[in-house]
Amino acid sequence: MTVEQAGRRGPVVHVDPVDAELELEPDETIIEAAWRLGYHWPTTCHGQATCTVCHVEVLSGAEHLVPPDDEERDALETRLPGAQRRDLTRIRLACRARATGDAVVRKKGVRPTQTVPIPPTGPL
Amino acid sequence: MSVTDERRKAAARPVPFGMRDRLRVPKERYYDREFFELEKEHLWPRVWQMACRLEEIPRPGDFVEYEICDQSVLVVRQPDGSVKAFHNACRHRATQLCKGSGRLPGGQIVCPFHGWRWNLDGTSSFVYGADGFAPECLRPDDIRLRECQVDTWGACAWINLDPDARPLREALAPAADVLDTVGVENMRVWWWKETILNANWKTAQEAFHEGYHVMATHPQLTSGLGEDYPYANTEYTAFENGHGRFQGRFDPSAGGVSQGRPAQAFLDRSRTLWEGQDAMTLERDLHVFRGMRNRVPPSEDFPTAAIKALSDYAQGAGIPFHPTPEGMRLWGGEVFLFPNFMVLPQFGNALSYRIRPHNDDPEWCRFEVWSLTMYPEGDEPGRAKLKGRFAPDDHENWGLIPRQDFSNIERMQRGLHSRSYEQHRLATEMEQIISNMHAELDRYLAG
Repeated sequence: MTVEQAGRRGPVVHVDPVDAELELEPDETIIEAAWRLGYHWPTTCHGQATCTVCHVEVLSGAEHLVPPDDEERDALETRLPGAQRRDLTRIRLACRARATGDAVVRKKGVRPTQTVPIPPTGPL
Repeated sequence: MSVTDERRKAAARPVPFGMRDRLRVPKERYYDREFFELEKEHLWPRVWQMACRLEEIPRPGDFVEYEICDQSVLVVRQPDGSVKAFHNACRHRATQLCKGSGRLPGGQIVCPFHGWRWNLDGTSSFVYGADGFAPECLRPDDIRLRECQVDTWGACAWINLDPDARPLREALAPAADVLDTVGVENMRVWWWKETILNANWKTAQEAFHEGYHVMATHPQLTSGLGEDYPYANTEYTAFENGHGRFQGRFDPSAGGVSQGRPAQAFLDRSRTLWEGQDAMTLERDLHVFRGMRNRVPPSEDFPTAAIKALSDYAQGAGIPFHPTPEGMRLWGGEVFLFPNFMVLPQFGNALSYRIRPHNDDPEWCRFEVWSLTMYPEGDEPGRAKLKGRFAPDDHENWGLIPRQDFSNIERMQRGLHSRSYEQHRLATEMEQIISNMHAELDRYLAG
């Protein structure tokens, strides 16, 4: 089903196992949509395509994800543990992947944000 | 604007190889290590400098790293569209936080070493393992990113490492006001390239502080006049605060510096300028000018009619090009903003240069060139990106005009080391922008 047929504004990425529906805004990556919609998403570099901790397994709709750019491909090939043994056509970085249509991905550790952001008075 | 300027206290420290008058520049100022270290200590940490074009950081969370000598500053677009600048060092163990340019998509500046994080406004948002630190090591005010002064003008962000520096527009006066007359605020990047030159940063920029070099360096621009090419029709002005300007002496109410030039000569020169650097005169301008070729009666001044046509075209296309008499006087001239930034306007376009020391070496510099133009409103180009770093003699990426200039710059730096050579001898009027810059530099170094 295409986006137009569904009558929605943007493509939806379904995230298992948390069962989250992320509707992506134009130019938005999966992780940015998750942050905007109040989900915690595992990462340490927060969108710099260096840690690869945010990577997802694509269960369906891989053809609806914009192909990886050089930066993402390089991160997956050289920084993802066990990259040689894995099918990299089914792994994407949530901080780089944008969508043109619906897709389903699996990512452990995604959860609704339970803590409030740390106030300007500091982390303690 | 004289050497005895009273803005700062009487010289607090002696300046080696200082300027004794406005006609000579001691050669050591261009390669001496001690002099270079004085610039690093007393000029760069205290002067307003162009840190980036605002098109490099169009969206909230976009950043650019600005490097000057051994200092690195992050310029960050805020959620409300304003701009902040931070010293680029983690408050924990000094790691440089961001490099180059890019986006901070989560609105977080993250240290790659231990994962400490900050919001776009510099406030601390996360300390991993915070309970492992003594509370006095994590005071919020201590661990927030150190801000540095930042302001915007001329579609650029400017920074100053000195928290007590005077306001930007005061420091840029009167040069910024002069450039406002050509609409620099409306100009955007057409292309942006850089080269690395084996020359002191001042050697490099001083090749552009006069039009006196055109006859010998750019013979293709002399319309075949050779040594008869006129040099006296340019007016040079040394401004306060180290800035300067040169421009043609002509009636600003008519066809700019080209007034009186026959149609074919005007078209030929415009074409040579476009081919020679793809800047200041662009293909779009040529196209409009050529369209006027057989439509201007001989009794009328062709350049005046051609520029009127360009203005009409811009109006129809929604391009914010509004020539003013004062602005037109600057076409083909230059405004220099102390210490290292230049704008050379023509029509709705401009060339712009920024020159910085490179690799902590007084004999190398990083020379950036922007070709700027005005786009139709609502049709502005996307994020500005450096096209690349190209060798100074790369004829695929540099036009003839910059290659000619770059070539002389490196030869000048070689000549400075000649045991026979002591100091530059400057033309009183034509090279006063150079001496004025050095006089201002000495004020920084002395006080």
